[in-house]
Amino acid sequence: MFYIYCPYCGEHREEEEFHPKGQAHIERPKEPEACSDEEWGDYLFFRDNPRGVHHEMWVHAVGCRKFFNVTRHTVSYEILETYKMGEQPSITADSQGPSREAAAVSQKEGVRA
Amino acid sequence: MQRYSGFGLVKHALSHHENWERQWRNPTPKKQYDVIIVGGGGHGLATAYYLAKEFGVKNVAVIEKGWLGGGNTARNTTIVRSNYLWDEAAALYEHAMKLWEGLSQDLNYNVMFSQRGVLNLGHTLQDMRDIQRRVNANRLNGIDGEVLDAKGVQELVPIMDCSKNARYPVMGASWQPRAGVARHDAVAWGYARGADAHGVDILQQTEVTGFKIRDGQIYGVHTNRGDIEAKTVGCVAAGNSSVLAKMGGFNLPLESHPLQALVSEPIKPILDTVVMSNHVHGYISQSDKGDLVIGAGIDGYNGYGQRGSYPTVEHTLQAIVEMFPIFSRVRMNRQWGGIVDTCPDACPIISKTPVKGLYFNCGWGTGGFKATPGSGHVFAASLAKGEMHPIAEPFSMFRFHSGALIDEHGAAGVAH
Amino acid sequence: MSNAATFDTRTDTAIPVESPLAYSYRHSGAPRAGSSSRLQLRERAMLGHLILRGGAIVLDEAVRDVLGISLPGQPQALVQDASGERSIQWLSPDEWLVIVPGGEEFPLETQLRERLGDAHFAISDVSGGQTLLELSGEAARELLMKTVVYDVHPSNFPVGKGVTTVFAKATTILRRPSEERWELVVRRSFADYCYRWLLDAAAEYDVNVQP
Ligand SMILES: Cc1cc2nc3c(=O)[nH]c(=O)nc-3n(C[C@H](O)[C@H](O)[C@H](O)COP(=O)(O)OP(=O)(O)OC[C@H]3O[C@@H](n4cnc5c(N)ncnc54)[C@H](O)[C@@H]3O)c2cc1C
Ligand SMILES: [Zn+2]
Repeated sequence: MFYIYCPYCGEHREEEEFHPKGQAHIERPKEPEACSDEEWGDYLFFRDNPRGVHHEMWVHAVGCRKFFNVTRHTVSYEILETYKMGEQPSITADSQGPSREAAAVSQKEGVRA
Repeated sequence: MQRYSGFGLVKHALSHHENWERQWRNPTPKKQYDVIIVGGGGHGLATAYYLAKEFGVKNVAVIEKGWLGGGNTARNTTIVRSNYLWDEAAALYEHAMKLWEGLSQDLNYNVMFSQRGVLNLGHTLQDMRDIQRRVNANRLNGIDGEVLDAKGVQELVPIMDCSKNARYPVMGASWQPRAGVARHDAVAWGYARGADAHGVDILQQTEVTGFKIRDGQIYGVHTNRGDIEAKTVGCVAAGNSSVLAKMGGFNLPLESHPLQALVSEPIKPILDTVVMSNHVHGYISQSDKGDLVIGAGIDGYNGYGQRGSYPTVEHTLQAIVEMFPIFSRVRMNRQWGGIVDTCPDACPIISKTPVKGLYFNCGWGTGGFKATPGSGHVFAASLAKGEMHPIAEPFSMFRFHSGALIDEHGAAGVAH
Repeated sequence: MSNAATFDTRTDTAIPVESPLAYSYRHSGAPRAGSSSRLQLRERAMLGHLILRGGAIVLDEAVRDVLGISLPGQPQALVQDASGERSIQWLSPDEWLVIVPGGEEFPLETQLRERLGDAHFAISDVSGGQTLLELSGEAARELLMKTVVYDVHPSNFPVGKGVTTVFAKATTILRRPSEERWELVVRRSFADYCYRWLLDAAAEYDVNVQP
């Protein structure tokens, strides 16, 4: 269950008010016509799918209806930060060692998922 | 291998069942194998089994970081059917269906495959048009299927609310009589026992942590129990496939999501078929133990946590109660999640990769249990020959660059 | 004045109008309760509802000139004029809901458009698309606690706050204009569902409905 801080509403709100919208910071190629098949396929279909720190887009669908970004750990599900569209994350996989909480979850679940 | 039979059961009863052989060994890893399979779920074990049994490749290791079938194989809701729309997918799932039909005998292991039929409900005119189209396509591919109207559905499932007063009244369904369910861990165990009997080493508690690659050719893997060499490596790691691909230096078009399921307290037999609804969005069957087995959709965010969140559970149960008001007071016993590797066109990837000798079988997402025997079989053939099996060929990872997608979102609909 | 086409939705008063709940009153009734009632439910039908979109600074000047209230700049803020008849609520960083007595909305829209001229903004009259329900009585908060996912404890939900949130799966606006009153703004398409939910959830409080 998530309790998500909407950077536009300035409050934590229930998960039910939000929808996840996939990986953040994906840029549409400036000139699609000039793309090779690989570049265009990569843009359409290939996403980061890290086991760890991930940047994703969410929309406050029932609240203010703004899109924003979430930095979240995909094993512990811990939300590390949320930030507005157009902003850059302050926490990344490189800036963060393995999260303590994530390690705890792996241990608790016995098998590492 | 000790064969199982009724006679054997009686014989072992005389010695108080104390002399049963272990179903598979617990070998120490060798330095080198001809083929390494990464991932000891149903698909990985089936691959090893067919490699050894049908393709004569017996020097094989299956490397599993946890326990056998501890991934999605033992977390799924066990629906088996083959009524997919497109020729490529139909061929793959029907290949599996044919193998299911003889699997218990082939493995000498009861996988409890029960062909109790699967209903895919239609609640709108468009649903019914899609159902008709899919059933017709199935029949052209030699796959059994019928279109039922609401009355036909009600006759099959008297306890379902098929009245006009339902929020989304049932208009009809597609019906595949040969479809059904199977016992998931028995599938993993049966394949493990069979593979072991043919000499395959099953290495549990062994995690692949990297690949040994030289000049674009794989020659082994790093594990927490040391390096193991092989010139052919097949990865069948479901939700963790992206992590492995990254170790190989390339990307896959996959996203790993939590998918949840629930079972109720056991109740007397009341539902003798499988009911799925893409529209109301839920599906249900009853296990031989009596519990209702229930599922619906993925949690929309990426997650490797093997658990999902509460709103999804609530949504799932609302759908079930909508279809089956009679179940509104049944208590749920357990709820869990798996990590499903979803693919943009809702079809798997069975493919060579940019690394020579390294193959991937993944992207089965929410619906790969039904394909276990077929997937293992065609993957084994591909690994043995170094050339993709014709049924596997269309499922190349490079289709996401060529554009030759196989869109099965319709048939895959609700996550089963 | 911008060259947007505008349209007065209340031109011919001879045409009978119905609130989004008219159907519900006919089908589900409007229970009347005695003095034991712990919850009053009153519809404030046919009010004027406008959605304003644009930059806060530009809109604020125009709204203050025309309506005499300043635009709430803080998230979740709800402001009213002295009479309590006119209100503006923050919905999003570039979106506000204005509610005024029925009939005032078109003149207000016209005045705002004149005042805003060529600025970058949008005004939509959504009066026909939603209706306002007022909850009061000692059980009002308890009813909300079992209905919305938002925390309605006074420490989190003081007077002068308003949010858009999930109301028994539907989207609604929930606001608190005074100590004793809560307001729900429900969409026309959800109105019957929300109303029936309220009747059901409030039966234990002996709800008294004033259509
Ligand atoms: C809740 C749920 C319901 C489902 N319902 C259905 C259904 O009704 N019908 C249907 O057809 N399908 C269903 N599925 C999908 C189905 O379960 C999967 O597609 C299928 O079981 C995948 O099998 P697998 O062997 O590829 O993967 P898994 O069983 O997940 O096996 C992969 C194995 O790889 C191991 N592994 C991963 N990384 C490493 C590493 N680095 N080193 C060593 N080992 C590693 C894992 O530990 C795991 O055991 C469902 C899935 C879920 C989660
Ligand atoms: Zn918000």
